[in-house]
Amino acid sequence: MNGRFRTVWLALLSVLTLWLLSAVAAGAERLAEPPILAAKVAAGDLPPMAERLPLSPKVIDFAAEGKTVGTYGGRIRMLMGGAKDIRMMTVYGYARLVGFNRDLEIEPDILQDLEVEDGRIFTLHIRPGHRWSDGHPFTAEDFRYWWEDVANNKELSGGGPPQEMLVDGRPPRFEVIDDLTVRYEWHAPNPLFPLSLCGASPLFIFMPAHYLKQFHINYADADRLQALAEENQARNWAALHTRLARQYRPENPDLPTLDPWRNTTAGPSTRFVFERNPYFHRVDPDGRQLPYVDEVVLDIGSADIVPAKTGAGDSDLQARYLRFDNITFLKQAEKHQEFRVHLWRAGVSSQIALYPNLNVADPVWREVVRNVDFRRALSIGIDRHEINQQLYFGLARPGGNTVLPMSKLYDNARDTAWTRYDPDEANRLLDGIGLDRRDDDGFRLLPDGRRAEIIVESAGESTEETDALELIGYHLADIGIKLHTRTLQRDILRRRFLTGETLMSIASGLNVGMAAPDLNPEELAPVSAAQPNWPVWGQYVETGGKAGEPPDLPAAGQLLDLYEKWRGSRDSAVRRSIWKEMLGIYADQVFSIGIAGETIQPVVINSSLRNIPDEGVYSWAPTAYFGIYRPDTFWYGDQDR
Amino acid sequence: MIRYIAMRMLAMVPTLVIASMLIFAIIELPPGDYFESYVAELQASGETVDPAKIEFLRNEYGFDKPLWQRYLGWVGGMFHGDFGYSFEYERPVSELIGNRLFLTVLLSFATIIFTWLVAFPIGIYSATHQYSWGDYSFTFLGMLGIAVPNFLLALVMMYLANIWFGVSIGGLMDPDYVDQPMTFAKMGSILGHMVIPVIVIGTSGTAAMMRRIRANLMDELQKQYVVTARAKGLGPLKTVLKYPFRMSLNFFIADIGNILPSVVSGAEVVAIVLSLETTGPLLISALRSQDMYLAGSFLMFLAVLTVIGVLISDIALAILDPRIRLQGRASK
Repeated sequence: MNGRFRTVWLALLSVLTLWLLSAVAAGAERLAEPPILAAKVAAGDLPPMAERLPLSPKVIDFAAEGKTVGTYGGRIRMLMGGAKDIRMMTVYGYARLVGFNRDLEIEPDILQDLEVEDGRIFTLHIRPGHRWSDGHPFTAEDFRYWWEDVANNKELSGGGPPQEMLVDGRPPRFEVIDDLTVRYEWHAPNPLFPLSLCGASPLFIFMPAHYLKQFHINYADADRLQALAEENQARNWAALHTRLARQYRPENPDLPTLDPWRNTTAGPSTRFVFERNPYFHRVDPDGRQLPYVDEVVLDIGSADIVPAKTGAGDSDLQARYLRFDNITFLKQAEKHQEFRVHLWRAGVSSQIALYPNLNVADPVWREVVRNVDFRRALSIGIDRHEINQQLYFGLARPGGNTVLPMSKLYDNARDTAWTRYDPDEANRLLDGIGLDRRDDDGFRLLPDGRRAEIIVESAGESTEETDALELIGYHLADIGIKLHTRTLQRDILRRRFLTGETLMSIASGLNVGMAAPDLNPEELAPVSAAQPNWPVWGQYVETGGKAGEPPDLPAAGQLLDLYEKWRGSRDSAVRRSIWKEMLGIYADQVFSIGIAGETIQPVVINSSLRNIPDEGVYSWAPTAYFGIYRPDTFWYGDQDR
Repeated sequence: MIRYIAMRMLAMVPTLVIASMLIFAIIELPPGDYFESYVAELQASGETVDPAKIEFLRNEYGFDKPLWQRYLGWVGGMFHGDFGYSFEYERPVSELIGNRLFLTVLLSFATIIFTWLVAFPIGIYSATHQYSWGDYSFTFLGMLGIAVPNFLLALVMMYLANIWFGVSIGGLMDPDYVDQPMTFAKMGSILGHMVIPVIVIGTSGTAAMMRRIRANLMDELQKQYVVTARAKGLGPLKTVLKYPFRMSLNFFIADIGNILPSVVSGAEVVAIVLSLETTGPLLISALRSQDMYLAGSFLMFLAVLTVIGVLISDIALAILDPRIRLQGRASK
């Protein structure tokens, strides 16, 4: 009896032990390799996860970002409109030396730490044990190679180091402190430097030296390089190096990367397959390596067909090439497809905005548009509410071309400055600046007797702009201004406003919709020839005075001074006050006329895809479209939530 | 005959030289160049480009040289197989076109054969049964085929094929087969995806050809030798096919000259709407972005094919139709 009891007891015990063991094993399994890599690790072709990760990997704070821990596997399909769009993988992947978090503060990502002294000395600390996607260590040598052998090589970078690396035209002192530490030291503060590292299209200040040296004249035999260049139909070694080293547009599958997924397709092709980078540096709170999803596939086709293909369920994550007017079609397809249509907000300051050209060649018109009361009158002469109802079903937010309420710099007074519809006040303003004579049709006459007719030029890529102009034309007719629309090719349009042929153009608003103090306020000041409202002044600043003219309107000059001050600023508090001042001047002077912002961007998401918010902001800068929502944390759960 | 061919071949040289000049000049005509369109496109989406870098690229690709130097460089390169460099794709042009040529030729041949298979029987039927019910209904269908815009038909058919048969939208194969080695499953997928483009591109061509066969054949049917043949007791089918039908084929042979270039370029607009991986969309996008060597070399390629096609159809006509052959001799 006793013996029998003992046997039963032992049996029970062993069952219990087995159960416990299997539970432990299950726990270990959760920490185990992604299934797709398990075989390679078991065979010894790939080191285990612990050895592939840096010693202290970047741990993503799932609680703060409202994410859940997921499981490995699956594939995300996306549709793109051309081979060039392969760069979106770098944008969406958003692995940066330092990157924005959800609060738009800069924090280390690839780097362990970025030390800043005095706003001008930047010390970069690389994570010990961080490796390129081919397993080679990522070290200070990769930074040195880029700075000394690429950025300062006459044949590879004809224009010298990129603008962001220069302060007053002077490069930094570069120093390798040890194997994992480098330092850039400028003579004056350079707030642009960290910003350029975390942009959607970042400045790559490192390159996989161990791979690229075989194509560089300093390290490889010149004859062999020449033969290699000819074999690849490149003009010389420099062209070949440039082509193979392109990190933003990852067309070279052999180029090691630090991104979550690496390209495996050499192209030319209509389908690019990206597979997981086994050495990626981010982990979830359980210490498991990201990304969750094994594969990302880009299918390249015509951009026009993307909405139809998305509606047929050919994409798991799509916002690019989907537009507001596709929503009804997509919503209908949603019923019998395995995706959900989410309505995100656009992050530009205004979906469409008018840009009066202050550098217009016509001397009479130039005087008129430079008068702030004229710009103000136009702005309050537009019924934004009606445009919102007609074009966006009332879902957008009428307002000026300034930061959106989601920005920390938002100020209601600025937002509503000169945007309330008031045709009587507009008429009064126009009468007050010498445009009080009218012709028989009720249109105002310019000082020289011509009718006040404005031709607004549009790049004409969507009917949205021309539709809005049609409505604006009716509104402005009420205040005696005749409006005409003309559509042109975008590059021709640019040339025309620079030469002063364009009086006014219509385009999307500024990228500063979600501005934060540490972001670059350059769009608010004349700094580039590509700015449609003051291209000639922008050209002057851009070329350092070699072309164009200096700003001769006090308010524009003031904005430029403020921008220069921002470039020399040392801390966020100063930058915040500069930003506020610039936004104030820009809104009060109505340098561009915003119509409506926060328009709807349809985002189609596979209904089993997790960790991607239902509501978000879809914007190039600063959020890098999906980048800030970290696609590496997305994972496939069960159907239907 | 040999002398005739040799003369025709000699005449091809100046034709092609003029064509190359025209192509180069027309691509150069619009203001700006590829880099300006590129910068404008990037800026539209908020990306910025360092102007110094663009200037560097421009010099790298020889845009600072005068027009005639670039023209000579381009033409010279073509003689030893260097068709220039595509800025958009950052690859040699030959690589890009070669990649798409197979599917384009496949699709075009399928379309041509579809056109013939449908147009010939119907054309003959309508000519021999003039003003009958069948003639009227085919004429109606034919007119419909000419009148409905191809791109619209393509969109509608693509949508229905997706809903009814689950054929993936756009492309010439299921996305899963792209870049995979050729298998039966892949071939099946390609054939399944080809049905719509072949029908869509084919309809307008079919309709036009149907009408032309009908008209040409009807002219012949009234001639005396047909009456003679019938009187001698030849069967109706043999009567039509043996004499008048062959006579009515001249226009068709003359048309071969145009078939060759269209086989290679495919139908551009439909290919864009259907997102086909053929050469047509490549050419259009190159023209739009002023990717001049890609566009130029491609157009030049088409010009060469057209010239060769015309030569072939001239020779074929001379062989087929003794009247043309004999006329040529009589005039000498």
